[in-house]
Amino acid sequence: MALSLFRRYPMEIILVCMYTYLMLAAPGFATLDNQMNVLRNITMQGIIAFGMTMVIVSGEIDLSVGSGVAFSGCVTAWVARALTDMLGPWPAITIGAIAAMVILFLVGVLTGKVRQHFNMPTFITTLGLLTVLSGAANLITDGFPITSFPFQFNFLGAGILFGIPFPVYIFAAVFGFVYFLMNYTSFGRALYAVGGNLEAARLSGIDVWKTKTLALGITGVLTAIAGVLIASQILSGSASAARGWELDVISAVIIGGTSLFGGKGTVRGTLIGVLFLGIIVNGMTLLNVSEYWQLVVRGGLIIGAVLLNHALDRSTVKH
Amino acid sequence: MSAIVETQGLTKMYGNVVALDDFSHKFEPAHIHALMGKNGSGKSTLVKMLSGVTQPTSGTMMLNGRQVEFKSPQDAFEANIVTVHQELSLVPDLSVTENIFLGRLPRTRTLGIDRINWGQARLQTEELFTRMGLNIDPKATISRLSVGQQQTVEIAKAMSFNPTLLLLDEPTSALATKEVEMLFGLLRNLKDQGVTMMYISHRMSELAEIADTVTVLRDGKHVGSIEMAASSLDTVVDMMFGDVARATRPARSTDISKKNPILQVKGLTRAPAFEDISFDLRRGEVLGLAGMLGAGRTEVLRAIFGADPHDAGEIIMDGQVVDTPAPGSMVDLGLGYTPENRKEGGLVQAHSIHNNLSMASLSKLAPRGIITKAVEAPGVAKQIEQLQIKVDSPALPVSSLSGGNQQKVVIGNWLNTDPKIMFFDEPSRGVDVHAKQQIFQIIWEQAATGLSSIFVSTELEEMLEVCDRILVMKEGRLLGEIDPSKTTLTELYTACMEGL
Ligand SMILES: Nc1ncnc2c1ncn2[C@@H]1O[C@H](COP(=O)(O)OP(=O)(O)OP(=O)(O)O)[C@@H](O)[C@H]1O
Ligand SMILES: [Mg+2]
Repeated sequence: MALSLFRRYPMEIILVCMYTYLMLAAPGFATLDNQMNVLRNITMQGIIAFGMTMVIVSGEIDLSVGSGVAFSGCVTAWVARALTDMLGPWPAITIGAIAAMVILFLVGVLTGKVRQHFNMPTFITTLGLLTVLSGAANLITDGFPITSFPFQFNFLGAGILFGIPFPVYIFAAVFGFVYFLMNYTSFGRALYAVGGNLEAARLSGIDVWKTKTLALGITGVLTAIAGVLIASQILSGSASAARGWELDVISAVIIGGTSLFGGKGTVRGTLIGVLFLGIIVNGMTLLNVSEYWQLVVRGGLIIGAVLLNHALDRSTVKH
Repeated sequence: MSAIVETQGLTKMYGNVVALDDFSHKFEPAHIHALMGKNGSGKSTLVKMLSGVTQPTSGTMMLNGRQVEFKSPQDAFEANIVTVHQELSLVPDLSVTENIFLGRLPRTRTLGIDRINWGQARLQTEELFTRMGLNIDPKATISRLSVGQQQTVEIAKAMSFNPTLLLLDEPTSALATKEVEMLFGLLRNLKDQGVTMMYISHRMSELAEIADTVTVLRDGKHVGSIEMAASSLDTVVDMMFGDVARATRPARSTDISKKNPILQVKGLTRAPAFEDISFDLRRGEVLGLAGMLGAGRTEVLRAIFGADPHDAGEIIMDGQVVDTPAPGSMVDLGLGYTPENRKEGGLVQAHSIHNNLSMASLSKLAPRGIITKAVEAPGVAKQIEQLQIKVDSPALPVSSLSGGNQQKVVIGNWLNTDPKIMFFDEPSRGVDVHAKQQIFQIIWEQAATGLSSIFVSTELEEMLEVCDRILVMKEGRLLGEIDPSKTTLTELYTACMEGL
C-alpha cells in the first residue's frame, strides 16, 4: 500500500518528507516570510520550465532561455527608455514587453524552421542562440544596466497582492495555461506523439513541424515574460541577469520526470521539480550549508531523481 | 531421445496478467516445433524467456537436461540459442553487413594496428546471402529496405551464428511465397544438421510444410501438443480457438464496375522506385496491389498519401486534383494509411493504447483543438470491441500488447477517422487467422457503405480472397489487372514473378 503510493507519487512524497524535515530542522524555514520568499524565487524559472516541458516532450530542447531572459529584460528597458518621453512610462514599458515577447516568439519559430529545413538539432541552434542573445543583450545595454523604469514598476516582480508575491499569480496562470494545452488540446496530444515517434505521428496526419515550432515559440514568449518580471524585480534591464538559468530550468523539468528522449513527461511533474529545487536551495542556505556543497547536492539530486524515475518505470512496466 | 528443452511449470506474469501459465513440455531435438495460438496467447512470452529477454515469474527451464537461468539475452546466446524476434531488432542506420556482424566484425592487423576488416565482412555477408539465395546489397542501409527484406536480413543474421536451438517468432509475417520457400529450404537443411527449431506463425498453411510437432497455447495455457503428420489443420484451429464462432463475411452483391472512381492516379512516377503508375479506384471497391518484395507497392501508396514525394504524375481524389499531397491534408480529405511497419510508422510504443487509437482522428475529434479523454473514449472502446483487441486496460502502454494486438491498434486508429479511402499495407501482419477474418469482414462491411480500399499483402491467398480486382506490379511498373474470381493462386503467383 505505502509502496504503491510511493510508486505513483515518488517525487511528491520525497518533497513532502523534505519539506517536513526542513520545517523542523532549518531555522526560519517555517516562517510565512520565508515561505513567500521561496515561492517568489521559483516563479521566474518555473514559468520557463513549464514551456520547456513542452519543448522536451516534443523531442527538442531550448538551451538559450538564460540569455533569453536577460535579452528580453534589456529590450523592455531599452524601449522604455526610448519611448517614455514620447508616450509616458506605462505605454512605453508595455510596448517594450510586447516587443520582447514577439522577438523571442519569432526566435523560437526560427529555431523550429531551421530544425525542419536544415535538420539542425535544436541543441546546436539554441546553444548558438545562448551566446547570440547574450551578445545582443550586451549590445543593447552597452554593458551597463539600463535603469529606465519608474519605481512603481517594481510591483510586477516584487509586489505583494493579498499576502502573496505578485509573480506567483503569473506563475499559477502560466501553469494552468500549459496544463490545459498539454492535457486538453490536440496540440498537447500532438506534442507527445511527435516526441514519442516522429514517423508514426507524421503518418497519422499530425503536422509534426508546426507542433515542435509552436512549442519552441511559446517557450520564447514565456522566457520573455520571465525576463520582464526579472527586470521589474531588479528595476533595470541587465545583460548579466539570469546567467546559467537554462541548466536550472532543464534540471527542474528532468527532476519532474520528463524524458530527454521526448514523448514522456508532465507539467505537473515539472511543478514538483521546480518546488523541489527551490525548497532545497532555500533550506540548505538556512542550514548554513556552504555554497559549494549546495552545488554538489543539487547536481547529485538531478542524477538521483532520474535514476529513481528510471527504476520505478522499470518495476511497473517490465519488458 | 532425450529432450533438448524441457520446461516445468513455466509461468510469466505481467502485473495481474498471466502471459504464460504453468507450461510444462519437452521439446525433442532436431525437430521443428510449431508454437500456435491466437494473438496474446503467450507464444512470444515463451520465446522471450528461452532467449533471456524476460525472466520467468516461476517454473524452470532445462537445456539438455541441465537447469538454466538466463538473466540476459547474452546468457541464452552463450548457450547457442539464437532468436529471430517478432518485432524487428536491427539497427536502422547501419548497413546490412554491420547489422549481421554487429559486435563481432572480423578484424585484421595492419602495421601492428588492429582494425576492422571490412572487405572480409562484406565477403562473408555475400557468401551467406548466396548460400541462402538472397538478393540484397550488403552495403544497403537497413532503414532503406522494405520490412520483408529486413526480415530476411534478420533471419540471415540468426543463421550466421550456427545455433543449436533456433527460435523463430513469426519470421515469415512480411515475406512473400518465394522468400518463404527459401526459408523453409534453409530450415530443413538445419534440421538435417541436428538443429532444433521453434517456429511461430499465423499462416496455417505453413504448418503442414514445415512443422514436425505443434504445441498450442490459449490464453497462456498449454492446450496440448500433437504430431503434425498425424493430424489436420482443423484440429489445430480447434485447439487454438476452442468453441469460438468463426467470423463469416457478408456476401458481396454490388457490382463495383459500374461505380465512379473516387481516386484516380495518372502517370505517377518517382525514379527509380516506380514509374508511370495509372489506375482508378472505384467507390466501394477493394483493390489489390500484388507483387513481389521490392515491387514498389508500398512506395506507390506512400507517395499518394504524401508520406514521400513524387517526381511526376497526377492524383485526383473525389474529382479534385491534389497537387502536393501531405499526410495531414490527405487525412482531412478522408484518406487513411496503415503502414506496413507498425513499430516504426504505426505506433508510439511508450504511449497508451487509448492515445494510439485516437492519434489519427485528433483533428476530427477536436475541430476546435480542445479534447478530453471522454471525447476519445467511445472511439477507443469501439475499436477494442470490434477488432477484439485483447487489452487489460486502454491506459496501458501499447508495447504491453502482443504483436497481433498491436497490429489491430494500428488498424483501429485509422478506422476511427471514418475514412473514405483506406490504404491497407499488410494489415494482417502477425494477426491470427480468426482476427484476420474479422478484419476482412470489417473491410467488406465498410466497403458496402462506401469505403474504398487498396489492399497490399504478401499473402496471395489473402488477396484473392479479399479483393474485387487486383493490379499486378513488378519492378516499379504496373503490369496489368487480374480478376480474382477467375484466377488461381498459382496464376497470380506466376503473374507476380514473371509478369502477365
Ligand atoms: N511487457 C508486457 N507488459 C504487460 N503485459 C504483457 C507484456 N508483454 C506481453 N504481455 C501480455 O502477455 C500476453 C501474451 O503475450 P504474447 O506476446 O506472448 O502473445 P503472443 O502469443 O505472442 O501473441 P501474438 O500472436 O499477437 O504475437 C498478452 O496478453 C500480452 O498483453
Ligand atoms: Mg507474439
